[in-house]
Amino acid sequence: MNGLLTGALYALIGMGLALIFGVMRIVNFAHGAFLMVGMYATWLLFDLLKINPYIGFVPAGIFLFGFGQLIYLLLIHPLRNRSHFMQILMTAGIGLILVDAAQLIFHADYRQTNLDLVNRNLHLGPFTANAAEVLSFGIAVALVVGLHFYVTRSLTGQALRAIAQNPEVAPLMGINVGRIQGFSFALGTALAGVAGGLLLPRLYLFPSVGEDFTTKAFVMVVLGGMGSMEGAALGGLVLGLAENFTSLYVGNQWALVVDFVLFLVVLSVKPSGIFGRQRA
Amino acid sequence: MRAFFVTFLNMLKSWKSWVFVAVTVALFLVPGFVDNNYLVQVLFRIALFAALGLAWNIVGGYAGQLSLGHVAFFGVGAYGYALFSELPSMSKWLALLLAALVSVAMAALIGSIAFRLRGPYFTLATIAFAEVLRLVATNLAVTGGAIGLTVTSLFTGRSFWRSFYFAAVTLAVVTFLVNVWVSRSRFGYYLMAIREDEETAGAVGIDTTSCKLQSLLISAFFTALGGALYASAFQFMIPDSILNIDISIQIAIVTMLGGAGTLLGPVVGAMLLLAASEAFKNQFKESHLLIYGILIVGVVLFLPEGIVGGLRRLLQGGKKGKAKPSVNAPVSIPSAPAGGVA
Repeated sequence: MNGLLTGALYALIGMGLALIFGVMRIVNFAHGAFLMVGMYATWLLFDLLKINPYIGFVPAGIFLFGFGQLIYLLLIHPLRNRSHFMQILMTAGIGLILVDAAQLIFHADYRQTNLDLVNRNLHLGPFTANAAEVLSFGIAVALVVGLHFYVTRSLTGQALRAIAQNPEVAPLMGINVGRIQGFSFALGTALAGVAGGLLLPRLYLFPSVGEDFTTKAFVMVVLGGMGSMEGAALGGLVLGLAENFTSLYVGNQWALVVDFVLFLVVLSVKPSGIFGRQRA
Repeated sequence: MRAFFVTFLNMLKSWKSWVFVAVTVALFLVPGFVDNNYLVQVLFRIALFAALGLAWNIVGGYAGQLSLGHVAFFGVGAYGYALFSELPSMSKWLALLLAALVSVAMAALIGSIAFRLRGPYFTLATIAFAEVLRLVATNLAVTGGAIGLTVTSLFTGRSFWRSFYFAAVTLAVVTFLVNVWVSRSRFGYYLMAIREDEETAGAVGIDTTSCKLQSLLISAFFTALGGALYASAFQFMIPDSILNIDISIQIAIVTMLGGAGTLLGPVVGAMLLLAASEAFKNQFKESHLLIYGILIVGVVLFLPEGIVGGLRRLLQGGKKGKAKPSVNAPVSIPSAPAGGVA
């Protein structure tokens, strides 16, 4: 049950990363850092303006969208024809800058939002669930479903998928690849930020809080098949459940180990992912 | 082995080798003029990271495989040394060697899985392996868990940092010679062919998997020695410091900044990066990695071949007629971390 609740948030993070990878073929090592920025943005809104994080995640997401667009234009777009090697280094560099800038601005102090909601439990038949977690689960599921329809139905969504399928032919069909890529990078960033905002009430906030999520997002995306957003969403759910069962039956400290073992097994047995299509 | 010495002897004919000998001698004389433990410690770390960068260069530079999991070999070297040196009647130097060999075995395991993957998948797999090691070290009793281990120091006495400096310089010099050999040997040319185009390299009969794996084994050996040296100098370690992915990134950045796939690149990179991070340490306190981030972004945007690579291109551009066609002319091959063959 808890695994499912966490899984939906993971799905959001994983979809953002999958979107960026699918459309741009860039492995975004700054994803966790974007999530951290989203958390700080939501926290600032809470701290200064007393805006509830469950509302604050919206402006935080919008801010992250603009932020992602800016980073794309300044730092990612110039590298569009460079090797994976350089692109990976660039995103790793962006991640380092963001984490250490947060360190510089907010210091390493642990921060927390105290919401009543977090201490309230809901009883659903045989299950007991935390009210805050149920709420963020609902929002995350709505976003994941909405995103799915957006990508499959809307014109922009079709352009996104066209680029993901064939970046050479897409521009011949009249798609502005640069603009769409910028849009998807910004959207992926915003998704990480939103997930950060939704995670805020349940986690302590500190500058390197996102690091685990970068690696987790990779696990989900690899599980679901690189570049497949539906796969990443499923990967998120699988990961949430796997972690939950591990901490329940083996021990909390091994939950992360299971992530990576899962990751390595899938990578070495079926690199295209459990749900992924085979790619040449 | 014979090839190694032949290349080495051939080197003695050129003026470059005499510069090399002179610089090496000078490096060993430096502590004689520096009477400041802090400074010697900084020099130790520069030499150590030069060695680590040179070791990484074999895989990341010449073979063009972006490993961000080198901290695994570093950490296994450190933990291996710490645990072996605790055994009764074990010499410290033997412990050092054993730790490096364990790390090579680990590299064989990691490489045999990770090298089945390419590009970003390979990088992700190396990270995952390193993270698994960190988590395992955090959770096992043998490794002291999250509390960590105290480590027997290789050297003791008044000239503590001086001895470590000498050890690190020796390691850097040896690793440099291995790089020289790689850059001139058939094996090295195979690696560079793989970097430029793995399919073509395979098509002309190079056993790409085996070559990549060998380069990783060599690299892991020296990285582990560096890790053991590091742990024994600071005498205390916890998984979060000694197996932190930041170390992988630092090693890669040292090399990329100076110029991946060049001989002098990692050395120049280590000097610049560590000096810069030392200089900014007081300003930024716990954010000293900020300077790394800024340097990465700057190098990727403006100096994709690194400092040494960029300089060489500048020089070669000046005498176009004479410049021999570089094996990896950076303009024509966008998929490679460009650099010269020194």
